Amino acid sequence: MSRGAVERVLGVLAALAAAALVVLGLLVAPPDAVQGQAQRLMYVHVPAAWVAYLAFAAVLVCSVAYLVRRDLAWDRRAQAAAELGVGLTGLAIMLGSIWGRPVWGVWWTWDPRLVTTVVLLLVYVGYLGVRGLAVDAHVNARRAAVVGVAGFVNVPLVHFSVVWWRTLHQPPTVLRPAGPASAIEPVMLVALLAGVVAFTLGAGWLYLRRLRVLARRAAPPPVSVGARPVPSVTVVRGDGE
Amino acid sequence: MVSVVSRATRVALREMALEAGAREAATVVAPFVVATVVLAGLGLGPRPDVLRSAAPGVSWLVVVFAAVPLARSVAAAEREEGCWDLLRGLAPASALLWGKVAALWVWLAAAWAVATLLTAALFNASTTAMGALGGGLGALGLAGVTVLFGAIIGAQRRSGMLAVLLLPAGLPALLAGTQASTPGVDAGAWIALLVAYDLITLAVAWAAFPVLLEG
Repeated sequence: MSRGAVERVLGVLAALAAAALVVLGLLVAPPDAVQGQAQRLMYVHVPAAWVAYLAFAAVLVCSVAYLVRRDLAWDRRAQAAAELGVGLTGLAIMLGSIWGRPVWGVWWTWDPRLVTTVVLLLVYVGYLGVRGLAVDAHVNARRAAVVGVAGFVNVPLVHFSVVWWRTLHQPPTVLRPAGPASAIEPVMLVALLAGVVAFTLGAGWLYLRRLRVLARRAAPPPVSVGARPVPSVTVVRGDGE
Repeated sequence: MVSVVSRATRVALREMALEAGAREAATVVAPFVVATVVLAGLGLGPRPDVLRSAAPGVSWLVVVFAAVPLARSVAAAEREEGCWDLLRGLAPASALLWGKVAALWVWLAAAWAVATLLTAALFNASTTAMGALGGGLGALGLAGVTVLFGAIIGAQRRSGMLAVLLLPAGLPALLAGTQASTPGVDAGAWIALLVAYDLITLAVAWAAFPVLLEG
């Protein structure tokens, strides 16, 4: 299957999953007994955060692959994944803040999960900022790869911050030792999983499109076969005029 | 192994000699530490209980912020004198890294000590032995990331990117160091976190530094 066809299939599947998410999250799942309608934001907040983690893991893998293979295609894959991760982390923070206002009573609180997530966002903003410091694409790629590897150290810190520190943020719902059934209604879990699938497929679609743009930018300009030759310049040495 | 240690020691001593001659770190960091502590006192005061409780955090904020100007000087002297490539040819990457980390650790630990003494005097705060241990450990991990990011951006335009990279990377030192030096807090777990931070940052710096020296 060609890359264009994969993109189209991903796009269609992402749209279908998003439609399922809207139906399940807004119509089928009941409002939360404690949090009310605001809880429905979790069906997009949690998937955004999870896919952001996935994107940052992809940055790590692609950065290591670049350092081993020295192939700029791996660098472009890392860049596209980082851009996706930064966007989704920003979205997760924004959605969490909108959810926090009615449930916690504040837009922001100095909670370990919130602070470490913002720090993670800053690290990958720095990762993207390191690019373009040098003229040589390989120098940029090497520096970015080092930041990409070093930056991933923060991901487990963010995820386990709700376990390691006393926090206002709730502990993991799905990935808990007792299983998700003890913490969430089955219909809510299905809506949440639909969100994860929709965000993963949508992110995959965006990732492939961005890769195509980055590859096109990196390709050398095409040489026109019928181009007219550049006239030569004759330098006359002598008195000048 | 012995060769790397002896060369790293020579690189560290060379950094000290450079500092003794130019007083770059002292003139940049010492006034910065004093000014920040005094301004923090003005900004957070005048209630003595607020100042006392904020003292450990202020000390660590000063250290993390001081890492930014120090990172700019990681290879600045060598680049100015045009001997960076020569030095890279003479000393193995690991010796250069450990020598520079050792020198930076001294500056950062000194910054923490000065800030802690100042907050003890001005904020009437007390310090603990575990706090001092946390100061040394946190400064070590921070020195590792400072050398790494200093080698990436130190002599580049967009040096503001240093703050974007270094300040988040210093978060574990800030958080655990502050908790470890807060009286009444069980410091054991925070010291363990600082040890893990040191191991991870130094391992990443050791693995990544040779790549950065390629150009």
